Amino acid sequence: MRSLNELPAGAKAIVASIDGDTRYLSRITSIGITPGCSIKVIKNDSKRPMLVFLRDTMIALNNNECKNIKVEVRGN
Amino acid sequence: MTDGKKTIALLGQPNSGKSTLFNALTGLKQHVGNWPGKTVEKKQGSFMRNGEEFIVTDLPGTYSLSANSDEEIVTRDYISSGAADVVCIMADSSQLERSLFMLSDYAGINVPCFLVLNLADVAKDQGKTIDVSGIRNKLKIPVVLMDATATKKYDDFFVCLEEAFNSKAKLDTSLLENRLESIDGYKELKAVIPDNLIPGCSPVWMAVKSIEGDKVVRAKIENSLKGESKTAYVDIISKFDRGALLTGECKFSFIDDLLKDSVTKTETNIKQTKLDRAITHKFWGKTVVVLLVIGGLLLSFIPAVPLMMLGSVFTAIAVPVRSALESANASPIITGIICDVIFQSLANTVKMLGFAFGITLVFGMFEESGIMARISYVFDNTMSKMGLQGKSVMPFLVSFGCTIGGATSSRVIDNWGQKVLTIALAWAVPCGAAWAIIPMLATNFFGWRAVLVIVAILLVMLVHIWITAKVFGGRLVKKEDRYGIIMELPPYHKPKWGALFRYVLGRTKDMFFRVIKVIIPVCLVFWILSYSAGSIEDSILYKVGTAIEPVTKLFGLNWQLFMAFVASSIGKEGAVGVLTALYSQSGTIYGAVNGTNAAVANSTQLLLSNISGPEALAFMFAITFNVPCVVALAATYQETHSAKWTGIITAYYTVGALIISCIVYHIGLLIM
Repeated sequence: MRSLNELPAGAKAIVASIDGDTRYLSRITSIGITPGCSIKVIKNDSKRPMLVFLRDTMIALNNNECKNIKVEVRGN
Repeated sequence: MTDGKKTIALLGQPNSGKSTLFNALTGLKQHVGNWPGKTVEKKQGSFMRNGEEFIVTDLPGTYSLSANSDEEIVTRDYISSGAADVVCIMADSSQLERSLFMLSDYAGINVPCFLVLNLADVAKDQGKTIDVSGIRNKLKIPVVLMDATATKKYDDFFVCLEEAFNSKAKLDTSLLENRLESIDGYKELKAVIPDNLIPGCSPVWMAVKSIEGDKVVRAKIENSLKGESKTAYVDIISKFDRGALLTGECKFSFIDDLLKDSVTKTETNIKQTKLDRAITHKFWGKTVVVLLVIGGLLLSFIPAVPLMMLGSVFTAIAVPVRSALESANASPIITGIICDVIFQSLANTVKMLGFAFGITLVFGMFEESGIMARISYVFDNTMSKMGLQGKSVMPFLVSFGCTIGGATSSRVIDNWGQKVLTIALAWAVPCGAAWAIIPMLATNFFGWRAVLVIVAILLVMLVHIWITAKVFGGRLVKKEDRYGIIMELPPYHKPKWGALFRYVLGRTKDMFFRVIKVIIPVCLVFWILSYSAGSIEDSILYKVGTAIEPVTKLFGLNWQLFMAFVASSIGKEGAVGVLTALYSQSGTIYGAVNGTNAAVANSTQLLLSNISGPEALAFMFAITFNVPCVVALAATYQETHSAKWTGIITAYYTVGALIISCIVYHIGLLIM
């Protein structure tokens, strides 16, 4: 298991678990990120939010907070 | 219900097209205010249909119905208050799986509702087919697939709306419950929660919120329960850890069940367009954004200029009105109030609205096309250091041109505190009027060293922004609200000009009344202070100015400079004119501010021989960092909806400018 923010652009993964307080969990699930959903990293530049693609949507996520999202990397 | 009129509430995640539908339904009949006791913008409008009036409430665009922000609390409270007869839930057909989350979060609320699957055109382009009747049969509520921008094809929508009002159908939760029952403890939890504890909310909904750790719902239930059932409730909920993940999975499984057999899609692949690659580029992104905003500012003048010219009509009308009044021997006070205050205020207001119209149109286009979300992404890191969103960069850039535009373009910032903070900081950016006079003044006084003055002004601007962010940041954007970005980057859309145009027109009309309410009193007060029957020495401003000169001298401002400083908060471009009028003893202060005085020959020489170097320097800083102008003040009030904060910011800038002036003057004395 790795943290989402460690993945390079182009990587595909399945969300395994998410940590954080109630508020964070509620926000992250309401935009569509839940355990089991597949996710693709579009961009992961330092000092920028991450860009990920999931459930037909491009989403920008605070890079630091992505440490909370644990994923299983999936081959292409 | 509102006075027996039928009320509809629009509920949906950002980018679901809620505003498009709201604007299409209500057109010019809309009103913007604040939710009582909250700093959340409340948009309401109305429309007529078959002789009946319908009220539409546009609820804040939130991602869920939790209680994490004021926006969410407002939304929840409004729905459970029963103020709306029917809730219209909106989802984006091109990303149904994700955007139906709001519907799944609504499930369990007993207020009648219907579902709008918007952006049907985009879904179709992506090769998706959606079977509305399948979804409808599972939810047991009216469902319509539509494109809210196609305002001529609203028949299906109205059929749905009428059906919802007639049948009062409530969302069927059985499909969701099938999933929820897999959560250990859900059934027991639901059993102990009494019905109707929170009006309109079923035990299903309250059980879900309890599992998610919703403090408001938990407290309500705990307080109402007694004895064994209370112990049982507390016991069950204490076992849930990260409950939002459990319910989140159930909600998305429910959505999958709902869409199964009803939606066919081809694999959507994401391709970043050239523009997208340029905007999100690691090194060039910021440059591209800055160029886009400057381009947008220039573009906004195309629709703005004709409207701004309309403002001059009032100035022109004032001339014959004045001569008519004078020939009728009207008192000079009446003539002054009518011609100088009322006509001039109208002229300024119309000019401002023209500019605001252009800005709102262009930046509304940025928002609708998806560019704004990219700007947010690119500047997120920089702006979050001040507690702001990435979008806040825009008002800053626009303010270099005009603070009125800066304040107006802050409209796209969806959090009130961040919006007010952005405007408060953007005031520190020297506007076009300052750029028009400062380099000229600086060159007259200091020759080539004017460059140093400009550099110093820019440095002071940065320090000012930094300090102001510290001063107001804590109160406007609370620490617990400073979280990282979680935002959708919608695909690029071609903006629909027609819909946008109607929206902007509606807003402009609303603005006129708000703005005029601020401008007329401020101009009137200034007019009274500067009024003189004969020479300038008769005015209150002169008397006060000369009386407190010993104090203002500490700031490096003699009475003439101080009066010009006061006048510059009405309009900076008039500051030099006021000085000329005072030193040449010709014209009036009010006329100088509004540029209606006769020109004075050799005004440069006049200033050079009367003002010392350090005084000139102090004066330049004082007017640059003073209140931008009365119209910017009105625009700030218009966008923040807060007289209190507009007042605080105004007072802060007036005092701040004097402090800066004082520091600069004393440094000037040392180095010159």
